[in-house]
Amino acid sequence: MKVSMNWLKEYVNLDPDYKKLEEAFNLKSQEVAGLEKLVDIEGLVVGYVLTCEKHPEADKLHVTTVDVSDEVLQIICGAPNVAAGQKVIVSKVGVVLPGDFKIKKAKIRGIESNGMICSLEELGVKEFDPEETGIYVLGEDAVIGEDPLKYLNLDDSVLELDLTANRPDLLSMEGVGYDAACMLDLEIQTKKHTYEKRKEENNFSVYTDTKDCKAYYAQVIDHITVKPSPSWLKARLMAAGVRPINNVVDISNYVMLEYGQPLHAFDYNRIESDTIIVRHAKTGEKIVTLDGQNRDLLEYDLVITDGKKPIALAGVMGGYDTEVEPDTTKVLLESAYFDPTCIRKTSRRLDLKSEASSRFEKGVDPNKLIKAMEYATQLFVELAGGEVVGDYSFFDNTQKDPTRIDITLEKLNSVTGHTFTISEVESILKRLYFDYHKQGDLFKIDVPTRRQNFYGYQDIVEEIVRIYGYDRIPTTIPATPTTGYLTKKQRLRRTIREYFVNNNFNETITYSLVTQKEAVEFDQLTADTVVIMNPLNKEKDTLRHSLLPSLLNILQYNQSRKIDNIFLFELGRGYHNGYEREWLSGLMTGVYTSTLWQGKKEVSDFYLLKGLLESLLVKLHLEDYEIKKASEPLPTMHPGMTADLYINKQYIGYLGKLHPQKEMDLGINKTFVFELDYDKLAELYEPNLVMQPVPKYPSVSRDLALVVDRDLEAQAIIDQVIFAGKKTLKDVSIFDLYQGDKIEPDKKSIALSLVLQNPEKTLESSEVDQIIERILKHLDKTLNAKIR
Amino acid sequence: MEQKLKGLVEELEAKLSQVKNANDLNLLKAEYLGKKSVFNDLMKQLKDIPNEEKPLMGKLINEAKQQIAAKLDDAKMEMDRKLVEEKLKSEAIDVTLPGKSSNVGSKHLLSQVIEEVEDIFVGLGYTVKEGPEVESDKYNFEMLNLPKDHPARDMQDSLYISEETLLRTHTSPVQVRSLLENTNQEPMKIICPGKVYRKDDDDQTHSHQFTQVEGLVVDANATLADLKGTLLFVAQKLFGEERKIRLRPSYFPFTEPSVEVDVSCYKCGGSGCSMCGYTGWIEILGAGMVNNNVLRDAGYDPDKFQGFALGMGIERIAILKYGVDDIRAFYTNDLRFNKQFRGK
Ligand SMILES: [Zn+2]
Repeated sequence: MKVSMNWLKEYVNLDPDYKKLEEAFNLKSQEVAGLEKLVDIEGLVVGYVLTCEKHPEADKLHVTTVDVSDEVLQIICGAPNVAAGQKVIVSKVGVVLPGDFKIKKAKIRGIESNGMICSLEELGVKEFDPEETGIYVLGEDAVIGEDPLKYLNLDDSVLELDLTANRPDLLSMEGVGYDAACMLDLEIQTKKHTYEKRKEENNFSVYTDTKDCKAYYAQVIDHITVKPSPSWLKARLMAAGVRPINNVVDISNYVMLEYGQPLHAFDYNRIESDTIIVRHAKTGEKIVTLDGQNRDLLEYDLVITDGKKPIALAGVMGGYDTEVEPDTTKVLLESAYFDPTCIRKTSRRLDLKSEASSRFEKGVDPNKLIKAMEYATQLFVELAGGEVVGDYSFFDNTQKDPTRIDITLEKLNSVTGHTFTISEVESILKRLYFDYHKQGDLFKIDVPTRRQNFYGYQDIVEEIVRIYGYDRIPTTIPATPTTGYLTKKQRLRRTIREYFVNNNFNETITYSLVTQKEAVEFDQLTADTVVIMNPLNKEKDTLRHSLLPSLLNILQYNQSRKIDNIFLFELGRGYHNGYEREWLSGLMTGVYTSTLWQGKKEVSDFYLLKGLLESLLVKLHLEDYEIKKASEPLPTMHPGMTADLYINKQYIGYLGKLHPQKEMDLGINKTFVFELDYDKLAELYEPNLVMQPVPKYPSVSRDLALVVDRDLEAQAIIDQVIFAGKKTLKDVSIFDLYQGDKIEPDKKSIALSLVLQNPEKTLESSEVDQIIERILKHLDKTLNAKIR
Repeated sequence: MEQKLKGLVEELEAKLSQVKNANDLNLLKAEYLGKKSVFNDLMKQLKDIPNEEKPLMGKLINEAKQQIAAKLDDAKMEMDRKLVEEKLKSEAIDVTLPGKSSNVGSKHLLSQVIEEVEDIFVGLGYTVKEGPEVESDKYNFEMLNLPKDHPARDMQDSLYISEETLLRTHTSPVQVRSLLENTNQEPMKIICPGKVYRKDDDDQTHSHQFTQVEGLVVDANATLADLKGTLLFVAQKLFGEERKIRLRPSYFPFTEPSVEVDVSCYKCGGSGCSMCGYTGWIEILGAGMVNNNVLRDAGYDPDKFQGFALGMGIERIAILKYGVDDIRAFYTNDLRFNKQFRGK
């Protein structure tokens, strides 16, 4: 809402320094978006053109002498309409016009010019008189040497408020006046309107068959002349950000801005009956609106009809056929109350949001229906020469009583945590112009209808606190003690983040919305997709299942910026019909660590990734895990380099190399990825830390070199060693692998390091020999493994 | 005799100066102190001299022997020292050659800010609640005093999956769910961090996906003053202990009264600068007292319970604290951006 300060001064006695008002609005009401002059030009004067001659050197220029009261200026003027005897707007040397255009002393074709005679366009207010061409000629009554902006009523400042949805009362100047008066503790001056009417029978009738039109007032005004509005009215509208059109339209808009009640004027002679019926539209009905558009109507649309066909879309837009034209002489003025929800639905569907519809959909004040119509009628008489044809026709079922809300002082104090006194509350209620009855500490408050959306005591608390001042409310901390903590799942997230960050990975957060194709790539669950009905665009119309497509996009993005060594991880959700799953996903590509001048380099590969994940599992005490060749690797994965991860025999996810085709498609280097089910991981994560005794007796190491079939998996050997080694075997690891021409082509040699330990005593070397013998025999029997 | 002993010591000194290695030194040691050394001969000659001179001579011989032994020891020590010195010299490295290099790991800036906010609230006795991002219209709007066709729904353009489901536009539905789960209606202090979505085109200041943390306190006597105190504490923890806060009226359907919360500018201290638009204040979050309709819909008697709620955008906090100039940077994951926030 743009608030004209000149207009507001009609309601309250404002301090000329508007900063106080601005601060009051910011801290007690609505955020101020700006406080600016309507025309921000200093130093304009009214000038009188004494002489006007053709420039000797230029056909289109005039040499004028202009009396500006304290001096006579010679000014060169290019406007065709300049003439002696005119009163004009003069920018003297030094004045700065919009666009940072500074008027300077100049010589134009050899003749000196000391200023400029201005057009409205040059002042940035073309819409004040769109017909004007050339310089603007002021009226005879303009006083030479005075401020022309004042003469034109354009010497105004505008306070722009960002309104919240709960304050439709501030969509009217009267409402703003009440709020300003209340905040600044000033008296409010309200207005009264009167006019003469012709004593004659009014034959016009109005009806409705729907409760969605609660009231309808219609006043017929005859003998009007459509013409431009006077300058004060145009200036007011411009301050409010509304373009002046003609007196009929301008009066409706002006009164709407005054009282928040939208009005509509029909050309009376174009209405084909003497009856208005407000009803819901019928299926298949159409209307051509003011903007010339043919609109298909739905049953929830409210329409104004002439008894047969729609002549206006109620509260949203007038009809083309009954529009007021320059030759209109008789109007029907409408002031009505339409159901907010109906108006909102229609204006949203047709994408027709107007000053009127936005007021109707927030609920207008039923007590302004008559007042607004009377004010507009008065203005039609005064500004359009209209004659009022008898009484208005109407029906009105609106609730005009105030809303009664009870609140006790104790309630106010218990909600705010502040101790208000009875007299403080009374003083604020008086400033709000809310009537009330006091019974002990109980206030029975009558909230006037100009304040809609009052439902309970909380609304009263809000009013009292904002006027009293939030800065005067104390600061305390809730008294009820509670215990704060993170759940196991929340803590684990942090542990995992720390782990990957400490292992040189970068955490990413990516969008959940992806393309339809990306949504199901790397999907480990079901192929159902969750699709957005009203997406922003095709790139983001489906919710992802896996995080990997997003991570690969990030990889691509960074690689194309010459970053080759990339290690990413993310914790985030995948979305399916009816459930969401949290994933721990990541990827690695390029050199992980290096000391190049020493020839040392650790490059991303399967075993590096596997090791990182294994260390994480050990850290999380999830040592009962298995990593097996993937039984059914995803089509985007390398079938020979992908493994499944099981913890406590439950499938958790997979790790492996991307399919070379996928790498080629994306144009990326060799990339290793993993995606683990975080929900399951968190479920299995049960760190149960009880001290285990540290072994007292030394351990013994033995190395074994075995020859086995080439396609035998290492895990199979380890499993059998563990089986045969029983309790004494503490650890087994592989320290060498050989396949080549020194052994048979279908064999490989594998070297194991075994650690044996007895917690009860020191192992004798003969005992160790026995155990090793047992293991070897078992390996030979089960795996045909021979000692090398 | 005395002369001879003196000569021996001088002779040794001369020989020591010729010694090149440990072997030379060992030979020298055998020559002077071994079984066949010159001292053995001298001791044998001792029996030929008069008895009264024997003690003196014996003493002189022993002194010479000790002197020689000491010199040999010194020479040995000196030689060892030189050896160590040479070894150290040969082992010296160029410490300016590069060390092992690896990628710099980093936690995402949004994760860092979420963790920071979580820690502040956990310290105040809050627990952290999570909920689905695909939400029902009922939990996202209707139970938050935002019935269908409510004008305030214009404030939040949403991404719908069907008429009744959408991507949550705030984390408030988690608060609703938490109220409903709290069947014993115990005093509750929770925060709900998470991803939220709006139908906004991505640009420098808008993102269709962003992160919120909302807080909710419901018990018999949580007051507006408690809200104010909580907000002050949080603002000071996030932006510095000297910060002040300012509450301004606002409107959210789920709170009444509703406020916007400004923190005094941490750059200029409140005197006004470009950071704060020369107002001295920076808007950081929205808050208010829980609307009775929300309590009632969740089965709480508004005569017995009251509470407050607050909500902040994590991106906004990160933008303010770290001078990030484009909200899209959080989601682009340009590693040159992400890695800047590695150490915190
Ligand atoms: Zn500042």
